[in-house]
Amino acid sequence: MVKGPPISFNTKGTLLALTLLLAIVFLASVSMGRVFIHGADLFTLVANFISGNGNPRDLLSQELVFWWIRVPRCVMAILVGAGLAISGAVYQALFRNPLVSPDILGVSAGCTFGAALGLVLPFDSFYLVHVMSFGFGLAAVSMSVALARVIGVKAVMILVLAGMVVLSFFNALLMILKYFSDPYEQLPSIIFWVMGSLSRVTWENVLVMAPFTLVGIVLFIALGFRLNILSLGDIQAKSLGLSPVVFRRLLIVASSFMVAISVATCGQIAWIGLIIPHMARAIAGPEHERMIPITALLGAIFLLTADTIARTLSTAEIPVGIITALTGAPIFGYLMIKNRGSGWL
Amino acid sequence: MAVTLECRDLKFTYQNLPVLDDISFKIHSGRFCAILGRNGSSKTTLLHCLNRILSPDTGKILVHGQDIRAMDQKKIAQQISLVPQEHLDIFPYRVLDVVVMGRAPYLRLVQRPDRSDYELAKKALCLLNAEYLAQKNFNRISGGERQMCLLARAVTQEACIMLLDEPTNHLDFNNQYHLLTAMKSLCRSKNISIVATLHDPNMAALFADDLILIKKGGILAQGPVNEVMTQTLVSALYDTPLGQISIHGHKKLFFPQTVLTGQKDRIETKDTIK
Repeated sequence: MVKGPPISFNTKGTLLALTLLLAIVFLASVSMGRVFIHGADLFTLVANFISGNGNPRDLLSQELVFWWIRVPRCVMAILVGAGLAISGAVYQALFRNPLVSPDILGVSAGCTFGAALGLVLPFDSFYLVHVMSFGFGLAAVSMSVALARVIGVKAVMILVLAGMVVLSFFNALLMILKYFSDPYEQLPSIIFWVMGSLSRVTWENVLVMAPFTLVGIVLFIALGFRLNILSLGDIQAKSLGLSPVVFRRLLIVASSFMVAISVATCGQIAWIGLIIPHMARAIAGPEHERMIPITALLGAIFLLTADTIARTLSTAEIPVGIITALTGAPIFGYLMIKNRGSGWL
Repeated sequence: MAVTLECRDLKFTYQNLPVLDDISFKIHSGRFCAILGRNGSSKTTLLHCLNRILSPDTGKILVHGQDIRAMDQKKIAQQISLVPQEHLDIFPYRVLDVVVMGRAPYLRLVQRPDRSDYELAKKALCLLNAEYLAQKNFNRISGGERQMCLLARAVTQEACIMLLDEPTNHLDFNNQYHLLTAMKSLCRSKNISIVATLHDPNMAALFADDLILIKKGGILAQGPVNEVMTQTLVSALYDTPLGQISIHGHKKLFFPQTVLTGQKDRIETKDTIK
């Protein structure tokens, strides 16, 4: 018997299970750290915040840690994790290539260079860093696509190779910038961006990031069916009534913007955009209307867990980019073995 | 018989080289039109111009008398469907999800297919006796089954004109017959106009109603099969001397002359199989 409904019960069940898991990881993450907040204290802090009552004296330091450091940091991890993972899924569909991600196409490198340039320039502005990050990220993806088009053969592999060329180019520019930057103030800031960390996140960052990420997630979920069609290639997309050029531009700009705003806030966090979409496909199948919400949840869980490990594993905090790379590489290796023979391997 | 598709004085150049020149023809409703030509004779380019995947330099494409330049891509897709050459998808979509993509021209920007669209997709698969494929991974079925799936998607698209780009490529002998029989049956039962590029003139002779012979970007001949499918024209199309065998006095099969006679210099062969 042929199953009919576009969203099966299993997908809804998976979404619910992952949402619950995210809630559990969130609660664990806000409790853990150098200042451990027990379950009862956590409840008191939240209850007093909702009721508007002040906290008892012995909880004041925990209140500070909880509301001004941990919660914004964990919310940011959720937003960045979801945003990077979804951007990766959208890139893979748009370029018909499961091996691309914002990292591989040079977008993250472009964004990092842009953010570093924004930091070095005399006008010290949070928004300038974001704008530069976005501009160079978009320039990087445009260069990768243009180079692949000029070469024009074996599209899947050439796009990856073109991305590596652009990535190397922006990494070289970043090195020049590092070489000439002030070693006491500018250089440490640039290194922070390159390694990726959520340690300096504030509520202001969260409030800037949240609307863009949420709009992006809603947009990509809404356009999930169109992404399926775009992933068939331009000829089939056109024959099915879609204008691929318009859609591709819109989606590249939107997903690059999500990557740029993540990089400008937290630096370069690798692997999420590549491995999380593959994990989501393994769970929910390749249809984007089903896999994108799961990608968002998995990305959020992955980065929140990685960030919790990064700040609790040792007394000195480890940059989260190291944790995502250390875990991402073997997971991707495993997924490649598991998915062999499924079309792209 | 009503004219569903008309191509008038179509010209297409690529990098200043003429690819299609002065192409004019009409396709009637419920007729199966085959386009024959050598490799690189621009058959696929012609198909892509017909549904505006490519924009011709000059000339008009009319669907039910209306110029497709006045239509957006979605409207064109409601009138003309395309079955591309056999391909592998990058992502391992389920067959039913590939077939339901045929409903895209009827959905709003953020709308996704609902239960009724999935019902239409299932009906299309049933029509082609391929409902057993519905839950399978598109990338793991055979070439013939993939073509059936893409044909079902074109049926789901409910367009009055169906373009098929070398649909029998990579198919075995049985699957070629199976697919072309299904297409012909669709053509008759749903009054769809089918335009298919084919490699094998014998398949065209067996299944097509009309023929367009394309040579070096121009039309060598066109018309009903029994008028166009002559030894002289088909030999001229492929630039090779062909012999022919008649079956029951009217169906003709073409073979390279050397295969039929074993001698390069003999042109005339008219054996009859009773």
